[in-house]
Amino acid sequence: MKNAFTKDNTSEAATAGKTLQAAFINFDTKTLSAQQQKIFTDIADDAKEHAEHIGANGGNIAHQREHFDMLSKDMADLIQTFGNGGQTLYKDFCPMYNKGKGAYWISETKEIKNPYLGKAMPTCGTVKEEIKQ
Amino acid sequence: MSLKKKILLLFVAVFLAIQFIIPAHNKSGQVLPTDFAKVFTAPANVQSTLQNACYDCHSNNTNYPWYSNIQPMAWVMARHISKGKAKLNFSGFGSNTTRKQISKLKEILNQIKDSEMPIPSYKLMHKSARLSQDEKTLLINWLQATADSLSVSN
Ligand code: HEC
Ligand SMILES: [Cu+2]
Repeated sequence: MKNAFTKDNTSEAATAGKTLQAAFINFDTKTLSAQQQKIFTDIADDAKEHAEHIGANGGNIAHQREHFDMLSKDMADLIQTFGNGGQTLYKDFCPMYNKGKGAYWISETKEIKNPYLGKAMPTCGTVKEEIKQ
Repeated sequence: MSLKKKILLLFVAVFLAIQFIIPAHNKSGQVLPTDFAKVFTAPANVQSTLQNACYDCHSNNTNYPWYSNIQPMAWVMARHISKGKAKLNFSGFGSNTTRKQISKLKEILNQIKDSEMPIPSYKLMHKSARLSQDEKTLLINWLQATADSLSVSN
């Protein structure tokens, strides 16, 4: 999904949104402890709505990005609670989005590829945190 | 009778016939404890602007205008209300988790900032729902501050 946004590809982002929504719905929470389930449900309830809106708004990349911003916050919280699945991840920050308020995103590459500004400013942003195993 | 006249009469007949197909009204008459107005102590002008411009489609209480008694207007409205409430319901705002409330506040902010809401056909009929730049700025600042304070306390 993030990679679709870096390329300004609205329909690819929409497809990714639908896939992510389905993944949240179909995720089997039985493997989690009761405490973990609570945290997961809280985050997933919110995240799947953002995924749904990204999926339903192919053609309106500005609106998709608004939801991507909120979704990224959920993903960061999810990683903080459940780990990174063995893959080193990067929490990146784009200072220009939201009229200079900025926005975070999670990336699997150290190299900056900005999903909020896309092709207009592909390398804008900095790595704020390296999430290791 | 000319063909033109026949067609015209047919239109009139259909128009009259559909007046009897009236969708159920969205009017609970009560303000729930989960209402936006009870969950937050927003300044009066913020709350009243939202109530004025958004509650007709995003709450359990619609103020029905005169034209909503004419079909097919009422059907269009009923559709807006059911789709609008599915996305955002100010009456039940407090029953969302804190995380969701923050998201909804930001979505409201975005819709106002992008001038996506209220929807154009509604603004056409409701002069008072056309938000001025000052009203927008006031709402946006309050929404941002409230979303931020919820994020911190969470
Ligand atoms: C005439 C009815 C109507 C009015 C008035 C109205 N809305 Fe909406 N709203 C809708 C409908 C219908 C949708 C769903 C649109 C869709 O599914 O594409 C919606 C969707 C939304 C969403 C979800 C957007 C998203 O996809 O992220 C928000 C937030 C919202 N409205 C806020 C507002 C605010 C704030 C106001 C007042 C300033 C307002 N609305 C006034 C009908 C209305
Ligand atoms: Cu949306």
